[in-house]
Amino acid sequence: MIDGWIELARGPLFRLSLAVCLLGLGTILFTTGVSIVRSWRSAGDRTLPIGAIVRTTLRWVAPVRLAKVRPLYSVASIAFHAGLLLVPLFSVGHVGLWQTDLRVPWPVLPPALADTLAVAAAVALLGLLVARLSSRVMRGLSRPQDSLVLVLLLGVMLSGLGAAHPLWAPVDARALLLVHLLLADATLVLTPMTKMAHCILFPVLQLVFELGWHFPQASGRHVATALAKEDERV
Amino acid sequence: MAISCSYYLEPLDTTDLPRRFLDAFAAILAHSNYAPVLDAAIRISARCGRCAVTCPVYQVSGEARDIPCNRTELLLAVYRRYFTTAGMLRARFGTPFQLTEATINTMAEEFYRCTACRRCKLECPLGIDHGLLTHLARWVLAEVGIVPKALRVATREQLDGKTRNTSAIPEAALRDTCEFLEEDCRDTHSFNIHFPIDVEGAEYVFFPAVSDYLLEPDTLMGNAAVLTATGASWTIGSKYFDGINYGLFYSDRMLDRIVSCEAEEVKRLGARKILIGECGHASRSAKFFVRTFCGGDEAPEVVNIMEYTCDALRRGALKLRPDVIEERVTYHDPCNIARSGWIIDQPREILRTICKDFVEMTPNGRENYCCGGGGGTVSIDEIRQFRTMVGGATKAEQIRRTGATIVVAPCANCKKQLREVCEDHGLDHVRVVGLHDLLLRAIEVPAAMGVDDEAAHAAEVGR
Repeated sequence: MIDGWIELARGPLFRLSLAVCLLGLGTILFTTGVSIVRSWRSAGDRTLPIGAIVRTTLRWVAPVRLAKVRPLYSVASIAFHAGLLLVPLFSVGHVGLWQTDLRVPWPVLPPALADTLAVAAAVALLGLLVARLSSRVMRGLSRPQDSLVLVLLLGVMLSGLGAAHPLWAPVDARALLLVHLLLADATLVLTPMTKMAHCILFPVLQLVFELGWHFPQASGRHVATALAKEDERV
Repeated sequence: MAISCSYYLEPLDTTDLPRRFLDAFAAILAHSNYAPVLDAAIRISARCGRCAVTCPVYQVSGEARDIPCNRTELLLAVYRRYFTTAGMLRARFGTPFQLTEATINTMAEEFYRCTACRRCKLECPLGIDHGLLTHLARWVLAEVGIVPKALRVATREQLDGKTRNTSAIPEAALRDTCEFLEEDCRDTHSFNIHFPIDVEGAEYVFFPAVSDYLLEPDTLMGNAAVLTATGASWTIGSKYFDGINYGLFYSDRMLDRIVSCEAEEVKRLGARKILIGECGHASRSAKFFVRTFCGGDEAPEVVNIMEYTCDALRRGALKLRPDVIEERVTYHDPCNIARSGWIIDQPREILRTICKDFVEMTPNGRENYCCGGGGGTVSIDEIRQFRTMVGGATKAEQIRRTGATIVVAPCANCKKQLREVCEDHGLDHVRVVGLHDLLLRAIEVPAAMGVDDEAAHAAEVGR
């Protein structure tokens, strides 16, 4: 019985979730790209500090600011991003998913490294969750989705570890595998609809905000016209 | 309900305020590039709190409303509800967020607690520019009449008044002041300077913060000393001579109109470049928005006086006496010229030449702390307590730690704010000056500027 559910979650549900995820992220990327081009074309000053934009983007990929501001938070953030990106794509347990579907050679992480990354990610996620919930300021800052996304991802990581290592699992590994698959499918579906969408927008975010300062040449005058304020004194 | 903030407002029509706010927001979104920024912000905001750690206002106030992403959320909530499909659908099927006068009142207060220093952007992993969103929110508020009275009155005089400047200095008074400064420099520093007015075909038209003519004679004399000593082709325009641009702080419409005045004056005089005096926001508004609003590549080039001076020093056109300033000196980076990395090294190069004991604040450069009076708040006298004891507290501590007795702040607004910060934090031994104030003491005066050689001077300045 459970095997049937696992096949459903691993097969059609996974494909559907992946399609929703890719379609959603693709749409976001496309519409953002169109907005970027439109903003740039309408800007009175089209000169962009491309070097600075690229450097700032890369600075957040390479954690050079780690030592300066909230080092623990930064280490946790990097640990969970690394685990979240690398383990689903390159661990032994997952590689079959991609190879079956894509039929291309696929690199595989050594199992010990994949486990380390997954454990580090789970610990980091737990730490981030505790930090978010235990601080009055952070609770005040948080919306429900901020904590729920962490809980969801923590669930994916822990159930995945349990499924991959039946000896570690407190319950039946098959049941854990099913939980893992369902949570992973849910994560895929939710990615374009939540702040996880930053996974696709990250490379262009600095550009989007820089373009915000590049106003269209006649924006003020057009706004004045729209609000019937052309002749209004200051 | 009346709108009530910690700063003074002019009489305000509150009829149908939420609807008018939304109309203004819609008009701005339709004619600007802000919508993609808002879309990105509502999609990816992680609420990680890094911005809180770096905000000098929040660090001191400890109030949740001062966390940049909390403040930004005030505007994002309106955008999400009224300008996105998801928000409109949610409103149909749930309990929607409603824009009320109370919400607008909260925005009116909180968007002016931000100094728009943009330090939080350095720490946001997702690059959210809360300064940009504060800028937008203030514009929307301005379109319904919510602008600090101090900013609005000054801008009114600049754009619609007789004098066309924020300090209401008539042209005759400008000419008198320039003559007085020339005499004062001759008497006090024993060399001649000249303030050329309405010289056609000059390379530079000079726009200092106009308040310098009233409050910062040494800065202006220092500017003129460098320009005269290096034989610069420059002039002040009598029809428009104010670099101040409060539009940067509350309305792109005003920002556009003010930089257009500068460009028109350059055109009237047949000049080629805009030279901005020691003022952070005047420099940024001209440097980054003259191109935007005045013709892109065809717009006049914008140069800050510190860039000019440093370049003259590097070329050997300006001679400075080394180590002539013996007191301990530190340098405050105005956010508007340093945050983007535009002007950081040039003033330091000059100061290291003339100062025996130059020390840095920590942090500095791009990562500097705001003086606490940024975003136009320095002009709002009624919030001085907040400006100096909250916004300026971190800066006061930075200054104290350097042990310096002179703080160089090449910005009219920063100077005013830092003097008040020093006063309110018991730093009475600290003097706040402009960079060119010190150059007055360090410049090696060419013979042509000597007081005994009037004829040579006349020939020099007449060139």
